[in-house]
Amino acid sequence: MKSLSIRNLSKTYFDPYAGKHVTAVQAVSLDVPEGEFVCVVGPSGCGKTTILNMIAGFIPLSGGEIVVDGRSVSGPGPDRGVVFQSHALFPWKTVLENVAFGPKMRGVPLADREAIAREYLALAGLAHAADRYPNELSGGMQQRVGVARALANQPAVLLMDEPFASVDAQTRMTLQEELTRIWQERRPTIIFITHDVPEAVFLANRVVVLSKGRVLKEIDIDLPRPRVWDALIEDERFKTLSAQVLQLVRSA
Amino acid sequence: MTAPAVTGASPRPSAALKRLTGAVTFLLPLVVLVIVWEAAVRITQVHPGVFPGVGAVMKAGAESIRDGSLWMHVGASMGRVMLGTVLAILVGVPLGVLMGVSPAVSTFLTPLFRFFSVLAGIAWIPIATLWFGYGFGAIIFVIFNAVFFVVAYNTLLGVSGIPITLRNAAASLGAGPWTMLREVLLPGALPNIVTGIRTGLGFAWRGLIAAEMIATNVGLGYMLFLARDFYRTELIVFGMVVIGILWLLIDRLILAPLERRTIERWGLVRS
Amino acid sequence: MIAAENPFARVWGAYLRLIARFPSVGQIVPFLPLIALWALVVELGVFPRAFFPGPVDVVQSFITLTWKGILPAYLEDSVVRLLVGAAVGIAVGIPLGLLVGLSSKAHKALWPILLFFQAIGDIAWLPLLIIWFGFGLQTMTFVIVYTVLFPVVLNTVLGVRSIPLELHRAGRSLGAPPWRIVTEIVVPGALPNIITGLRNGLGYGWRALIAAEMIVGTSGIGFLMFDSRRAGSVVEILLGMIVLGLLWYAVDALILAPLERATGQRWGLVAR
Ligand SMILES: Nc1ncnc2c1ncn2[C@@H]1O[C@H](COP(=O)(O)OP(=O)(O)OP(=O)(O)O)[C@@H](O)[C@H]1O
Ligand SMILES: [Mg+2]
Repeated sequence: MKSLSIRNLSKTYFDPYAGKHVTAVQAVSLDVPEGEFVCVVGPSGCGKTTILNMIAGFIPLSGGEIVVDGRSVSGPGPDRGVVFQSHALFPWKTVLENVAFGPKMRGVPLADREAIAREYLALAGLAHAADRYPNELSGGMQQRVGVARALANQPAVLLMDEPFASVDAQTRMTLQEELTRIWQERRPTIIFITHDVPEAVFLANRVVVLSKGRVLKEIDIDLPRPRVWDALIEDERFKTLSAQVLQLVRSA
Repeated sequence: MTAPAVTGASPRPSAALKRLTGAVTFLLPLVVLVIVWEAAVRITQVHPGVFPGVGAVMKAGAESIRDGSLWMHVGASMGRVMLGTVLAILVGVPLGVLMGVSPAVSTFLTPLFRFFSVLAGIAWIPIATLWFGYGFGAIIFVIFNAVFFVVAYNTLLGVSGIPITLRNAAASLGAGPWTMLREVLLPGALPNIVTGIRTGLGFAWRGLIAAEMIATNVGLGYMLFLARDFYRTELIVFGMVVIGILWLLIDRLILAPLERRTIERWGLVRS
Repeated sequence: MIAAENPFARVWGAYLRLIARFPSVGQIVPFLPLIALWALVVELGVFPRAFFPGPVDVVQSFITLTWKGILPAYLEDSVVRLLVGAAVGIAVGIPLGLLVGLSSKAHKALWPILLFFQAIGDIAWLPLLIIWFGFGLQTMTFVIVYTVLFPVVLNTVLGVRSIPLELHRAGRSLGAPPWRIVTEIVVPGALPNIITGLRNGLGYGWRALIAAEMIVGTSGIGFLMFDSRRAGSVVEILLGMIVLGLLWYAVDALILAPLERATGQRWGLVAR
């Protein structure tokens, strides 16, 4: 059962400048069944990154529990793949070596892991760029490699923190369409963080609106798939859902 | 006793306190090192002529302070470094700017200056002592050329690295040659100039110590070498500590902050 | 452009095209006028010839010393010392730098000590080393290792600490155990800085070697120069200086530049 379940999660930071503790995340509970695509939206500073970092195991919890695949989480691990906003590709490895990194750590022999890496590069539409270095790619390509690298490790959950925030608008739409395609092909469990409401509605099965460290509301997105911008941009359902989410975020 | 609630006063530790704790955490390992050193000397019972204890070194230091010889040597060394460096900057920066202004001249001269900045410093000691004789002139020459070539080379790189669009922009805003120099060329090359001074001084400091060992009868290098003739290791170690502290003061309190400030201020590197 | 009519501009343009195709030409040609000027000053007899010999004299002494086998033997001595120093400096410096860069405890304890010993500087150790080891190879080796070590350590630390947190996190969430993080992320991430440290270390180390050879040596290029100074032979000093300059070019072209091209520049971590 490759699901994710968050119970009563909370996080307080010590703010050395104010000299007191601040609560960034408060009693958040969330269930993500296997194969679901959840987007988390909310205004800046509402705790999105903090939640994701706790799920990834990068920072300790102040309270609550995170259960992935039936096991309680402490520390980072290959069961939770992460796609970073700043791509975080290893500059000294080629694209292929980057994608093969996870399997390499699992001890997969060279030929096999290269085959795996090529498969996921092809999935991300980057078969031709295998031997390049990350700094020789465009921003959009770098993010695709980041997605391929995380997926190649076959994680139970894929965690994405505003991965498309720093690419241009056209490229972002392409990346969003590709991500929904990949999701449909492979059905990974995804938690995707963004502050871009149309992006969240476009991608998700369910949008979770966060406000001041708490879950404000969860909204199911029952738009049909495959989703493409050309069709959805004029779609009434899409418009009403986006407006609804946007209103929640702005009131948050 | 309960701590009073934070009211108007800032709850942050004051800047002075922070600096103090910073200094303490910096000095603590060095204090530990001194203790370890003393313990090692006592345990191994090493001959003081081979490796002196802390007490002997402090006594030698106190003595050299009392009889004024320390100040004489430090004064001589610092005076030489300052004179040589100031001369080198006064000549090197204008020359570097002049050479860097014209792309043709800088293309041609860069390899020459690179060659001489590779040689800067110690390699000049033999010929300097032949040309100027043992003593002040030779040492000043070694320091001068250690700093001069590196500074001139870096200034040249800095000026020729200023984007031509920036110079065109200034010119189209009506900047004459003098304004151009003051407002565009010097500020633009300043980070390079400061880096050049820091590197050059590093070479000069070593060149100074080496030259003083070879070619003079006053200065820190000479003090060390003279102490060696009498197997006075405690005086040697004291001299080494003085040299280390002096360079730390020069580098960390003057050069490094200067470099950081100029580089950061113009946002040439991040953070 | 009017300038194109000017014959000087045309020659200059041709020169620029030439050095664009053969960059090494651009590194050599500028020396020709300098050497000509040098020869001219010597021919005019501005300074006594023994005091200020010309290029021809230097070439002659180069041929003589090479023929006698002195120059090649001394050059070999210096180069071997430099390489041994570099090898030991790297072998000790990189692990030490990794430790200090990765562990904040080690950093707190060792960083001030490293800075202090670096500040003392290689050459100031010579008197003490002579007492310990006498005039000879051990003293010189110590000085070289010492000089190369500190820039390598300090730059390795900087490099390790400049690796973005994200890359550590990426590695760990892809399943890398701690020691693989070191080999796969920390070492390659710090490599451009390590090479910078090596460049600085060799730059300083090579000066220290010359000083050590002058003060305690019995062979090597520094010894050659200082021995010539005792004999009052300026021409051999000049020869020594030129050889030293060329030696650095060789180290740069054969070792440092290829390393830099293959690492940081290739990965886009440092500007070309
Ligand atoms: N290391 C930290 N120390 C102290 N406070 C922190 C730290 N990290 C985050 N915070 C605080 O926790 C709160 C939530 O931050 P978080 O980064 O999770 O927000 P976010 O929703 O991701 O915002 P954004 O959309 O701007 O990325 C903020 O108020 C922030 O100031
Ligand atoms: Mg965030």
